[in-house]
Amino acid sequence: MIETVSAAASKSRTIEIEAHLERLADVRAFVRSSCAELGAADDCVVDLVQAVDEAATNIVIHGYGGATGPIEVTMSPAADSVRVEIRDRAPAFDPMSFGEPDLGSTRLRPGGMGIHLIRAATDSLAHRARPGGGNILTLVRTLGRREEED
Amino acid sequence: MALDIAIEQAGGDRAVIALTGELDASNFTTLIEAGRKLHADGTRRIVLDLTGLSFLASSGLVALHSLIRILRGEAPPDPEEGWGAIHSLEFDVSGGGVQNEVVLVAPQAAVDRVLERTGLKRLFRVHEDRSAALADA
Repeated sequence: MIETVSAAASKSRTIEIEAHLERLADVRAFVRSSCAELGAADDCVVDLVQAVDEAATNIVIHGYGGATGPIEVTMSPAADSVRVEIRDRAPAFDPMSFGEPDLGSTRLRPGGMGIHLIRAATDSLAHRARPGGGNILTLVRTLGRREEED
Repeated sequence: MALDIAIEQAGGDRAVIALTGELDASNFTTLIEAGRKLHADGTRRIVLDLTGLSFLASSGLVALHSLIRILRGEAPPDPEEGWGAIHSLEFDVSGGGVQNEVVLVAPQAAVDRVLERTGLKRLFRVHEDRSAALADA
């Protein structure tokens, strides 16, 4: 089982796990502890725990699809925000290719909710192919409470 | 943190399920399985006490939906059929939305946020404590 937690002088922190659903709790714990070091407000912590959990779940289930492989989560400060990079070696897959669920509809599909929750919890979300194979998903969330949540 | 599921009979066809910990993709099927067993034993309404639940993933929403379906005697998702089958499920929120099978108790802020953001909160009656929920279930 692969697991590394490293902290560079820039306060950037990384955890690497193998892609198993049983490791999601470790990823969430890592996000919480990193947020504390970066000075994130509770509101930000809740959002990033949700967003990173949903993204990692997508990688385990859709990305690797039952196979295993590495997932790296790196959290670093960026001005008044937290930047999270989630890297894998799964086949190229852009989670944003999912459409937004129609929350006003009388029929709601839970399967579309993961990416919706990531979008709702972050200020920006970007996917790019990882050199050498895989994906890099970048999430940015302001450290504090967002005005639209008031 | 693991998920703890505590079940109490509440008289008649009602039961209380108290969740403690985190409900995510690794454990949501255990809640579905608990619902199946309760339904098989005659339970038709569940008070779901979320006081101790600190995290709810989208997969947990699937479990909540499954509880409703199971209690209605409808086919719940079969985890053996894979994630795709679960994704194909739909919440029916037509006809005013609120259902009667599952009543929620005291979701923490993080859990409440998920219910709000996904539009699913309108499916549930929510109470601040268990006794109020039992009076309403």
